[in-house]
Amino acid sequence: MANRLPACVIDTGTGYTKMGYAGNTEPQFIIPSAIGIKETAGVGDQAIRRLGKGVEDLDFYIGDEALNTPSYAVKWPIRHGIIEDWDLMERFYEQCIFKYLRSEPEDHYFLLTEPPLNTPENREYTAEIMFESFNVPGLYIAVQAVLALAASWTARQAGERTLTGTVIDSGDGVTHVIPVAEGYVIGSCIKHIPIAGRDITYFIQQLLREREVGIPPEQSLETAKAIKEKFSYVCPDIAKEFTKYDQDPGKWIKKYENKNAITKQLFSVDVGYERFLGPEIFFHPEFCNPDFTTPISEVVDDVIQNCPIDVRRGLYKNVVLSGGSTMFRDFGRKMQRDIKRIVDGRLKISEEISGGRIKPKPIDVQVISHHMQRYAVWFGGSMLASTPEFYQVCHTKADYDEHGPSICRHNPVFGAMT
Amino acid sequence: MILLEFHNRIVQETLISKFKNAQEGSKPDTVDVTCADFDGVLYHISNPDGDKNKLLVSISLKFYTDLQAHGADTLIKREYCDYLTSPEAGYNVSLLYNLESVPQDYEEVAKKAALLKRNCFASVFEKYFDYQQKGTEGRERAVIHYRDDETMYVEAKKDRVTVIFSTIFKDNDDVVIGKVFMQEFKEGRRKYQQAPQVLFSHREPPQELQDTDARTGDNICYITFVLFPRHTSPAARDNTINLIHTLRDYLHYHIKCSKAYIHQRMRAKTSDFLKVLNRARPENKEKEKKTITGRTFNRN
Repeated sequence: MANRLPACVIDTGTGYTKMGYAGNTEPQFIIPSAIGIKETAGVGDQAIRRLGKGVEDLDFYIGDEALNTPSYAVKWPIRHGIIEDWDLMERFYEQCIFKYLRSEPEDHYFLLTEPPLNTPENREYTAEIMFESFNVPGLYIAVQAVLALAASWTARQAGERTLTGTVIDSGDGVTHVIPVAEGYVIGSCIKHIPIAGRDITYFIQQLLREREVGIPPEQSLETAKAIKEKFSYVCPDIAKEFTKYDQDPGKWIKKYENKNAITKQLFSVDVGYERFLGPEIFFHPEFCNPDFTTPISEVVDDVIQNCPIDVRRGLYKNVVLSGGSTMFRDFGRKMQRDIKRIVDGRLKISEEISGGRIKPKPIDVQVISHHMQRYAVWFGGSMLASTPEFYQVCHTKADYDEHGPSICRHNPVFGAMT
Repeated sequence: MILLEFHNRIVQETLISKFKNAQEGSKPDTVDVTCADFDGVLYHISNPDGDKNKLLVSISLKFYTDLQAHGADTLIKREYCDYLTSPEAGYNVSLLYNLESVPQDYEEVAKKAALLKRNCFASVFEKYFDYQQKGTEGRERAVIHYRDDETMYVEAKKDRVTVIFSTIFKDNDDVVIGKVFMQEFKEGRRKYQQAPQVLFSHREPPQELQDTDARTGDNICYITFVLFPRHTSPAARDNTINLIHTLRDYLHYHIKCSKAYIHQRMRAKTSDFLKVLNRARPENKEKEKKTITGRTFNRN
């Protein structure tokens, strides 16, 4: 019977948890990974204080409800993608399953996600919760980067499906560049970039603050975010873009209108250079962060150059975007051009050094953009969990009862063969 | 959250967002959502024949034929008359919404659609509650195989309606926790006189089900509810149905929550013991001692 019902896919990120049933194209719920609990002040160990006496352990909210309900202390059990508070996480899953997904966990297989470099112990803890508390019939813990690679298959022809590639995952807080070879993350080569969605919003907010006067201060962040999401794009050349705007402002400068939350009066904002300057901070980080000045394309090139030589071509050929902050128009195109330029430059130098005797084979650089970029990880999970193969690689409850939680330390890669 | 919600959130939120979208005059996008609910129920929200202005909500219940025997069709017709359409292939009931004419109270409509599963269940209860009110006796009991190996029995007497659930525990620990939990139900009756009587039996079916095909086994439990006229009266009826049709999932939800709570206690206790262990250091036995004259010596 379990095979008939769709599997549940839950992607728990630092900021947001995406959950839904396998086979769908979009997650059914996207909620903040927050949990609101009643906390009592007092002496003693926090874990013991939390136990309570009656049904206090059921008195909590998750997601938006946690943020909107006053007098509950809001906790974020996940830090940097890794689960830190297992007590709260177990309760978080309780409501995910019973309140939001409304699934009887004994009937559904589960696919959960983990960040690259998650510890095997954490996988065991997750398995303990899922198998012992919830009696799930089967569990698979997938690496987020691998799912993002799988999601990019929608943009390619069948037969070209590969689990080798570089994943650029940019959410709200931080951007990761993760090389994956044959479904396995090359952990030593991962790089982080301290620039992501939130930084772009702040940067646009700052630009607006310097020029526009009509924005109510308490709505300035919200305005900046809306402008970022609605109007921003990546331009091929900033200098040219500036002249373009100056010559024909009517065509390029847009208007954004919104209502003041308090006075209910309309205010309007001219949206000018920030349309292309916002996303530009990926390529010129010195605009907003004096400590970090390496453009994203250079970071990607560095990452690939650090990897074993036999996978580098595959990594250049398949650079995959994932996460909301990679959604800007032409982001992929500019990435591809910049990386190509660096790679070609390097090949040219090596040709010169050899005195023209060796002609290196050109390296193919491809950055893949696709429609599912925003929820790429969840979508990849949903896609893989609806294949029959998924049910074969899952760890089953029988296996767990036989061998214990250690079986979940390893989750076999699958999906590349079809 | 102590009680489970009765409506399906996914259905409700999907419909509300589509209705709202349509009311604001934005272009409708394609929708194709398949989602599950408790008891193996499957919902499917889609555009029939690719027409983006129409929204088809279908539900599939494996035990719908059982329910049909108790007038599910009429009840569904009564609740959803305008929206009812011929069921989609592979599903039991389908509702059709036209996005070109969104009703003003679309939130109500969406909520009602999200209660589809509850309304399917309601038919059998309403029928037997009616029998009880009218005082007709001697009817056969209704048997609903609401899950593959779990069954619900409903029976009406002159003065009461008896509802019996059989449920299976996959895990041995669950039996114990379930027993303790049901014990609390019995205790609760002492405090609240108006609560229905609850009986709980493990392994063996209760008296009423003797000489039927009711299963016996180590991990089977039977829960019997005796509903009195005050529960089946038209005023209280809806609430009774809401609560009783989620009972099985409610029980299993609380078993899981109890286990989570036990795990929480275990973690707290372990960290407590670890603290004690860390404090305990082996005493340094080889001490250098001094005599009164100032000479030192080792004592083993």
